[in-house]
Amino acid sequence: MVRPRLIPLLLLKNGLLVRSQGFETHQFIGNPMSTIKRFSDWNVDEIVILDIGGSNNHDLRRDDLQQQYSGQSILDVLSEVAKVCFMPMAVGGQIRSLEDIEVRLRHGADKCVINTQVFVDQALVPSAAGAFGSQCIVVSIDAKRCADGRYEVFSHNGKVATGISPGEWAARCEDAGCGELLLNSIDRDGRGVGFDIELIREVTRAVKIPVIACGGAGRYEDFAAVILDGEASAASAANIFHFFELSYPLAKKAIIEAGVPMRPSRTGSQWINREPIYDTVRENHRIEARISRSRDTEFSINQKPGLKSNIIWCRKCTYPSLSAAPIGFDKNGVCTGCQMANAKKAIPREIWDERLDLLCQEIESGSRGKNVTYDCIIPVSGGKDSYFQVDTIKQKLGYNPLLVTYHGNNYTTVGWRNLSRMKEVFNVDHIIIRPPLETLIKLNRLGFLVMGDMNWHAHIGITTVPVQIAAEYNISTLIWGEHGYTDLSGQFSMNDFPEMSYRDRLEHFGRGYEWNYFVGREGLTSEDMRYWKYPNDQKLLEVGIRGLYLGNYVYWEANEHTKRMIDEYGFEISKTPFDRTFRLASNLDDMHENGVHDYLKYIKFGYGRCTDHTCKDIRSGRMLRNQAIKLIEQFDSVKPSDLSRWLAYVGMDEDEFDRISDTFRDPRVWTVKDGKWRKQKLN
Amino acid sequence: MLLVIDIGLSNLASVKRGFEIVGGEVVISGESKVISEANAIVLPGVGAFADGMSVLKQRNLIAPLRHASACGVPILGICLGMQLLAGRSEEGGAHLGLGLIEGECKRLDPGQTDDRVPNIGWCDIQPVNRSSLFSSINSNGSYYFAHSFHLDCDEKIKTALIEFGEGCITAAIENNNIFGVQFHPEKSQDFGLDILFAFLQRIKK
Repeated sequence: MVRPRLIPLLLLKNGLLVRSQGFETHQFIGNPMSTIKRFSDWNVDEIVILDIGGSNNHDLRRDDLQQQYSGQSILDVLSEVAKVCFMPMAVGGQIRSLEDIEVRLRHGADKCVINTQVFVDQALVPSAAGAFGSQCIVVSIDAKRCADGRYEVFSHNGKVATGISPGEWAARCEDAGCGELLLNSIDRDGRGVGFDIELIREVTRAVKIPVIACGGAGRYEDFAAVILDGEASAASAANIFHFFELSYPLAKKAIIEAGVPMRPSRTGSQWINREPIYDTVRENHRIEARISRSRDTEFSINQKPGLKSNIIWCRKCTYPSLSAAPIGFDKNGVCTGCQMANAKKAIPREIWDERLDLLCQEIESGSRGKNVTYDCIIPVSGGKDSYFQVDTIKQKLGYNPLLVTYHGNNYTTVGWRNLSRMKEVFNVDHIIIRPPLETLIKLNRLGFLVMGDMNWHAHIGITTVPVQIAAEYNISTLIWGEHGYTDLSGQFSMNDFPEMSYRDRLEHFGRGYEWNYFVGREGLTSEDMRYWKYPNDQKLLEVGIRGLYLGNYVYWEANEHTKRMIDEYGFEISKTPFDRTFRLASNLDDMHENGVHDYLKYIKFGYGRCTDHTCKDIRSGRMLRNQAIKLIEQFDSVKPSDLSRWLAYVGMDEDEFDRISDTFRDPRVWTVKDGKWRKQKLN
Repeated sequence: MLLVIDIGLSNLASVKRGFEIVGGEVVISGESKVISEANAIVLPGVGAFADGMSVLKQRNLIAPLRHASACGVPILGICLGMQLLAGRSEEGGAHLGLGLIEGECKRLDPGQTDDRVPNIGWCDIQPVNRSSLFSSINSNGSYYFAHSFHLDCDEKIKTALIEFGEGCITAAIENNNIFGVQFHPEKSQDFGLDILFAFLQRIKK
């Protein structure tokens, strides 16, 4: 007997993983390689990769990121993916000919998925099946329900109606020699409302070949019906596997419990590591090359003119297209951040009430059956968001949280006072973890040199220490604040309820640098790096750890929250203005976060935190775009005064700092003219 | 040296990568003179039996492979590669194979069942006889299959079966230094990689 399968579908645009909705909106989620590697570890049955990028010219140059991949086409991606893919892989998108199929098979694909070209070239499927065997030819069918209730097949990415019913088209594809069908419901794509079982059945009953059904999975419980009622051979989904931690093993568990004989998932492979394996020789070379560039007095003068930059700025806010955050734009030039902010604003009050009920259910299901003192962990920095999180969870909802803080030795005086007061103000238990100073100083220096960011230790410390405590204390739920990129750049949609994941931690917070990268550098040992080691997947599953974002459950308006926290709890904001932004209430836990750390973002990408803050204020209706541009011109380029503390802290002089910083300038943003760095003007 | 024989378009890169991750160093080659230098040989393959044999013939690999087999060099056939080890196949007419083991490849027959041909997907194997490739952990696992023919051979050399049609078919064989798996260990995650690792241990002995 062949077991029914559960297949994650990965949509790639310009080599990056995207989430999709209605075939139109695409938000960038991450790097496919680390995701696929974990899929191999979890005994994923098979993967389907669909390349939806219109252009075959990937541009992933980010000198501050650790990525093994530096190719420029889907074939380069496939070669890299094949190195970590120990399960069958089907590949689709942009396939027009036998050569297109052959080259993909040669780059590691086991099957090819064809859609539009089946309509254009009727001979392709029969000749491909003849040349490569029908087992490697999959036809993908996109279908939509018409006004009269019938289903119709659409071609060209769901844009062109064909007048053919899915059942009829499926039978014709089978006759033409294809070995398998991938059926997608356009109506359900990205909506998370469950599968269209009627559509699936129309197709499965019309053919004998296996049918993979996708479109609509929103909960783990949705999948079983695809096999049991839809009679499909495999259920597939994209988004759901990218929103939640360990989603595949959890989905498999739900499906098997519903009586479908799928292959069980596993974790903890003997052969496949979750943590990246770095090529130490290559990395040593990279670091040495950077140091030598920084010592070259002619470096900036000899810079070749940057490639023609085509940066655009959102027409509503001021976010640039070339940025540290994953961002996309619609046809009117409005960024995904603004689009998602509008979607959030449109959520009515009663829906927010329902969301808050949902949060309570999640917290209670997490602590059910556990003999633990705490209902959840709240990771806190002592900032305005921390106060708001504890206010909501303890004062408003009545739960007993354990507060956990990573202390990176960069507190401002005000920030430290705010943090220290939390245990009294809220009458809660609070654990503060302070790694040894010597290790922190080494990591500051290394972070700056390796990725142009001294705060790697903080980003990874903040996202790791609370999870370690959760694992140790057997606490399932962590309540984070906002999902940063959903708020800033619209990475996810409001109905996605994304949770904290190892992927986010590694790729976003860590820029691809895991704790093991630093072992052996400046004498750091594996034991020194213990504060930055994430619990393994088995432990996460065993404790049932989930990191929920409060921003998915309550309306988040930072300015209003801050005002209330000041009034009700005496939260203190900065009395002296920051050098690089007009906001006084953010990032008090780390004097460099708004300072040199952010200055380096400007050095790399040509914008800084003031841009971020104006975007948020424009979206909440507190600021006009031209006011924002004035503020950005005033703040974004300022070299901050906390630099002197940092230089003394790590033992570096300013000249060396400037020279190393310059090596991180993105050539798409910066050019040298008359010996000075210049960039395109915000408009 | 672990030699993976290049017989044209096949899962070469995946097989190579699979051995590498379990600590093997792999040479891919389609040249007959390399065979005599190999400590162990892997014969991968996807596609039709006759095409596979004709590539082996064109590249003058048949005699060196038979010689290596006679000298006791461990040889692992994967999917079509396992079928090529046999004496005969009925795929696309009657064809002769390498004849390193007794047996004949026959078309899968679903009989009165709903089973489909080609048989594609994850199937649970059942261990029969003792095998040095399987351990107590992976001998009851699921493996990834993609085939239309199966190897009919002496029960004594079968080491694992899967259910298909109205009976069972061969999933793996072992006869002294000759090994074969119908499934794709390089696409079967830990259970499959364990098999590649076990085969690698044969070289080190």
